[in-house]
Amino acid sequence: MKSPVKSSPRPQALTVVVGAGGVGKTTIAAALGLRAAEAGRDALVMTFDPARRLKDALGVGDSANDREATVPGAGPGVLRASLLDPGRTFDRLVERYAPDAAARDRILGNRFYAHLAGSLAGILEYMAVERLLEVADEGRYDGIVLDTPPTRQALDFLEAPERIVSFLDSGALRVALKPWFRADGRLRATSRLGPLGRGAERFLDDLVGLGLLRDMAEFFQAFAPLYDGFRDRALAVQRLLRAPQTQFVLVAGAAPERVADTLFFARKLAEAGHRLGAVVINQVHPRLERLGSEVSPGRRLFAWLGERDAVGVAQLKGLLAGHARLATVPMLATEPTDLAALRRLAAALPPI
Amino acid sequence: MVTGKGGVGKTTVSAVLARSLARRGRRVLVLEVDPRESLHSAFGAAPSGGEIVRVDARLSFQNLQPRTVIDELVRERLKVGILVRRTLDSQIYRHFVEGAPGLKELAILGHAQRTLQKDRADTVVLDAPATGHGLSLLAAPGLVSEVIVQGPVGALARELAEFVADARACRVVVVTRPEEMPVEEALELGEELRKRGHQPALLAVNGLLPAPGRHEPNDRATELWRARHLVQVRELEHLERGWPDSGAAAVRLPQVALPLGPPLIDELRRVCDEALAGMAAAPWE
Repeated sequence: MKSPVKSSPRPQALTVVVGAGGVGKTTIAAALGLRAAEAGRDALVMTFDPARRLKDALGVGDSANDREATVPGAGPGVLRASLLDPGRTFDRLVERYAPDAAARDRILGNRFYAHLAGSLAGILEYMAVERLLEVADEGRYDGIVLDTPPTRQALDFLEAPERIVSFLDSGALRVALKPWFRADGRLRATSRLGPLGRGAERFLDDLVGLGLLRDMAEFFQAFAPLYDGFRDRALAVQRLLRAPQTQFVLVAGAAPERVADTLFFARKLAEAGHRLGAVVINQVHPRLERLGSEVSPGRRLFAWLGERDAVGVAQLKGLLAGHARLATVPMLATEPTDLAALRRLAAALPPI
Repeated sequence: MVTGKGGVGKTTVSAVLARSLARRGRRVLVLEVDPRESLHSAFGAAPSGGEIVRVDARLSFQNLQPRTVIDELVRERLKVGILVRRTLDSQIYRHFVEGAPGLKELAILGHAQRTLQKDRADTVVLDAPATGHGLSLLAAPGLVSEVIVQGPVGALARELAEFVADARACRVVVVTRPEEMPVEEALELGEELRKRGHQPALLAVNGLLPAPGRHEPNDRATELWRARHLVQVRELEHLERGWPDSGAAAVRLPQVALPLGPPLIDELRRVCDEALAGMAAAPWE
């Protein structure tokens, strides 16, 4: 087997797979990676906690947890799979940018961080792109496919870097909180803040109490030396997502009631300056050639599903013509259980 | 609180449960937290846009924007117009509300609890986010109350932590489909809920296919139907084995040849009524 480790960075295609929950993003991401490896390219698929069966299909098991595991039998290119662990990515980031061990420990041991930073708005989504940047910088692959985590809202993922930067932004919270506390952690006399500052302070104190404010102030102060590095990083992530070598693949449901969602997502991608490489309409039911005589209720249901999906696909085709490549993937009886099944699915996808 | 894997039909099940409970004489408010509204289609109504929409005498729904709820709280507490405007416009406040972990979750749960407390409804059905985010929603009051001890937010967090921990006040409905990944996720979710002290009140399996007969025409659709039905049988067994008490509090809803709308909800509601009537202790009484 040839080694995917190359000495110098090479041009690489990045593919970010997005879409609503339950449309089969993870399977499509794995199939896209396999497709690239079959075309002789070295590829990496990064995903969050896929179902056991997909790990089995890729033949990687738990060896891919936060590590890149080689998928046996995929080739001629090398295919690797990696299951992301957002908590560890965040800790690594803190470790990288902390000036010393004491600063690192102050952050990781902070009450605010320990309890709540894990659920900080958009952190999971942000960690996915942060990891993409890490791997892309190393330049070891021809193609990297990122499966995006299930988000509360479809767009959380795209907005995550902006939101993190905004939250950590030195302007508001850090500056706002810092003057309230002396080095010993006691509340300062607030007269110097002026009436506006006192108003805001009174409000926040009233709302959440000074204990939390002290923890938050500590957290942001501890974060200060990391801040520039972290901020640069988030900006680099934003740049990478808009770089010419990055494309988005939007996985969509086939039913007409999903069309509005798909268009909404496609429009948001375009507005944010992202390149929509392809729309994959997944899980399309077959259309019945004939209904048959003595039709059972079940058959009538499948006839309806086939017609319903045909209508949805036709609508999307009409609306997206000229804007994005379109591929349809038939509804499968089961999730792919092995590489052969994944390969059949991959054949329906556009090359990346 | 209705949760489960993305795409399993949480909104459909929320609407069905709401209809079923309203028919039993309860006043029901359904809360949707996804800003991309779809709940209104289930009731054949216009989108809520944040307002409470009345479907009939006992049933209403509302799309809830957490930030609006927090802004409302500020208005209520500060009262003075100029202070309210200054606070709401201030950068500090904006960043705090956007970024402070747990605050939006508190706002959603707080809104639900106040609706009940003020007797505006007998039951609130919360069409909650998918699994992981649904769990965070339940965990938020406890986490926040550990960090925020003082002030009205601290008090609210403590109160809501008690509210979600009280199995008679706050009940979790897990939605799934008879397919591999949704069942796997439902089992994991059930386990996680029990570990955190929430015994799931109801398991709703959505999208059940009928069994194919022996004389169906041989074509791709039948082939797919047979194969999917096999998966369904296997996954239902898997679910029954792995879900304690699955016989006692489970509703199975068929896949119906109708788009999301009142006729679909009505048909499923009838199935749901029957299932709930057959339960020794219906999960809401």
